[in-house]
Order: sequence, then structure tokens, then C-alpha cells
Amino acid sequence: MELADRAVGFLLSITSLSIFTYYTFWVIILPFVDSDNFIHNYFLPQEYAILIPVCAGVVLLCLLCIFIGFVLLKSKKKKA
Amino acid sequence: MKHVLKLFSLLVVISALWIGLLQASIIPRSHTWLLPIYFIVSLGCYGLLMVGVGLMRFPTCPQEALLLQKDIAEAKDFLKQKGVDVGSD
Repeated sequence: MELADRAVGFLLSITSLSIFTYYTFWVIILPFVDSDNFIHNYFLPQEYAILIPVCAGVVLLCLLCIFIGFVLLKSKKKKA
Repeated sequence: MKHVLKLFSLLVVISALWIGLLQASIIPRSHTWLLPIYFIVSLGCYGLLMVGVGLMRFPTCPQEALLLQKDIAEAKDFLKQKGVDVGSD
């Protein structure tokens, strides 16, 4: 159990660090690189840098709301 | 309350910097517009990292758990002697 928790924590840390590095490269460093450089092949166009986080945020918010509604319904049923 | 003020002033400073950058247009507009989203994404990454690190180094104390179990057994014995119903475990 403890090992599984540790593995999940490690995975979360790695994921967040890799997302941060990739996004930093994408948003901060890429504008200063020539547009015909080979490195541009590894990144999506600039518009997706806005679209993907916004979509992810909306999906996250929806999931959160669904979860809260679920919990509220459950607690109400228990009380009755 | 003071913490809130600190965070708020930090936010104001960052937004002032961003508006200045937007007005000065040292770098192209389309890239300046990305910076707030970059800020939010890095905040999310920081939160995720903190949760991961907290999970990784979650402090457990097995010896204390053993002592606590011993204490519970002792208390149950004591209460049973006095005729208090503590239920079965």
C-alpha cells in the first residue's frame, strides 16, 4: 500500500515536471527560435498552446462539478 | 489576512508587468497573450508537484501505531473491568 502511494506520488511529480518543461519550451523559448528550425517539428502550432489548457480546464471543472453533485445526492439520500 | 494581501500584491505586480509588456510590445502580441495561460499552467504544475512530493514522502510512524494499538487494548480491558460495553472488535 505504501509502495503504491509512493509510486503514484513519483508518477505525479514526473508528470507535472514534464508538462512544465514542455510547456515552458513551447511558450517561452520557441518564439525566439527561427521558424525553419527542425525543432518546430516536435511542437504543435502556437494556437494549440491556448486551446489545450483551456479545454483541459473546462473538462476538469465539469468533472469537479459532477463529482460535487454526486456527493451531494449521495448525502441527501443517506439523510432521508 | 496578511497572507492574502501578499498574494494580492504579487498578483497586481505580475499583471502590471504583463500589461507593460503588452503595451511595450517588445515581443509579438500573440506571444504576450500566452503568458497568463502559462502562469496558470505553471501554477497547476506546481500544485501537482506538491501533491506528488507529499505523497512520496508521506510520513508514517509504525512504532507509534503499535503503541496506539496497545493503548487501545489496555483501555478496552480497563473499561470492560468497570462494566462498560465497548463492543467487540
